[in-house]
Amino acid sequence: MGAVIECKNVTYSYPLAKEPAIKDLSLEIERGKFYGVVGENGSGKTTFCALLRGFAPSFYKGELKGEVLVEGKKTTDYGGELSAKIGYVFQNPFTQISGVKDTVFEEVAYGLENFGIPAEEIERRVVEVMQMTDIEALAMKSPFDLSGGQMQRVALASVIVLEPDILIIDEPTSQLDPEGTESVFAIIKTLKEKQKTIILVEHKIDLIAEYADEVLVFKDGQVIAAGDKRKILSDMSLLEKGASLPQVAVLGSMLKERGLPLSEIPVTEKQAIEVIARALEERKKQ
Amino acid sequence: MEKTYTERIQIHKTNKLAGLYPSVKLLVVVLYTVCTFVLGTVHFTRVDLSLLLIPWFLVIPILCASSGALGKCVKALKAVALIALIILLVQTFLVPGGEVLVRFGFLRICEKGLKTAVSLSFMIMNIAGIFVWLFQTTENKEIARALEESGMNYKAAYVFTSTLQMIDILSENSKTIMNAQKARGVETEGNMIVRAKAFFPSLVPLILGAVIGSEERVLTLEARGFSIQGEKTHLFNLEKSGAEKTAAAAAVMITILIIAGRIALWVL
Repeated sequence: MGAVIECKNVTYSYPLAKEPAIKDLSLEIERGKFYGVVGENGSGKTTFCALLRGFAPSFYKGELKGEVLVEGKKTTDYGGELSAKIGYVFQNPFTQISGVKDTVFEEVAYGLENFGIPAEEIERRVVEVMQMTDIEALAMKSPFDLSGGQMQRVALASVIVLEPDILIIDEPTSQLDPEGTESVFAIIKTLKEKQKTIILVEHKIDLIAEYADEVLVFKDGQVIAAGDKRKILSDMSLLEKGASLPQVAVLGSMLKERGLPLSEIPVTEKQAIEVIARALEERKKQ
Repeated sequence: MEKTYTERIQIHKTNKLAGLYPSVKLLVVVLYTVCTFVLGTVHFTRVDLSLLLIPWFLVIPILCASSGALGKCVKALKAVALIALIILLVQTFLVPGGEVLVRFGFLRICEKGLKTAVSLSFMIMNIAGIFVWLFQTTENKEIARALEESGMNYKAAYVFTSTLQMIDILSENSKTIMNAQKARGVETEGNMIVRAKAFFPSLVPLILGAVIGSEERVLTLEARGFSIQGEKTHLFNLEKSGAEKTAAAAAVMITILIIAGRIALWVL
């Protein structure tokens, strides 16, 4: 799988900012992979997403050094067409409603109308996406009459319906209750199964451990660790750098320190059960 | 057969007047406003009162009732009537000038005050009334679609429609902020001074929240191809009621008659 997005020595500063928000960033995003982006608040995660989508510097202005390439072309050279390639979902469900549509159906169809897709195809695609995101029952309701979780699902549906290959999802569950979080992650899981390239910013590290293929850890505008989730999320040295790790990984590490022969540090609950069970059996045999 | 969602979002009106094409309704509104100004120049009585504006206002309830929207319109007209009444009272009793017509203790009604009061309050009633009819019989998306069809830039049409929608949202947000401020001990109920003190702690978060929200909304629109060039599809299409030509002709005829009548009064 080749790189679909490349960052080459990217340094970006917001207007009037004394310090760059992103410092000398170089990395590649591979097609079809799920990237979990983690780090403390203010570490540059959202700026990173805005750079990939081209919002920085085209919307935020500021100074960009280096290059961000999407399918080999600079983001600054794309116009509105980038919205067909990259879908973007924000953290606040309440500000993601267009404000000009009366029903959820029209809200989801809005992007396709902008792209000039024929009406029959819009109907078909919107119905399909509403079924996938479980919002068909809300189709004729006003988008402003929905709960936060429902609104976030509508926002996701409005982006998914454009069928972008790449999806950037910035803390979609930060304002949702557990039920809303679960429903949003069920959609993300379906998107992963469809082999979409997903870049997800999320503080709920257990969910990142569950779904992501690769993890990028941000600190002070730089990526301090990147790679396979099992390698990154089991690296206890990251705890000292302010990163949070899955509870099962911390537990696994402690058990290993106390002499339980774990073959690896688990990062998900399912993996933890397997690894710990195997270790206990081995101990019994000894 | 079950209707598709695209069919379900269309607006079908059985009432011919309510179902008029929005641009024809706008023509009626403009011509009604012109007639109001013309009729306002016709003065009766010794103190030159614009009394014709009073019977002219009857057109509004008739129009609302004929459009099958009297109930909805009355609520909005009540608010307009209250404002007009306040203006009438303030102008009548407080504006000096000309002969003193009546005196009630320290209050007095002067010629100029009464003249301005009648003219201004009924002018407001008439003009606001015709807009009430327009907005109570036309949905926002109909107006937006008509504006786009008339060649208005889609960005300007968006600003217009979202502004109408945002009024409700800001009103809801202001209630939430008021409750939050109450919980923090800010007094929001009481006399005018107490309410004025609560104004800024409530207004600042409301405005700042709206500004911050608008940034994310702009990016949301961008993510949905808002600025993409080329032909856009419209799932919602406007329907004509069939009475457009008749309504436009009647509005033009009435306007011509009123203007002609006014000129005749001048000449004679």
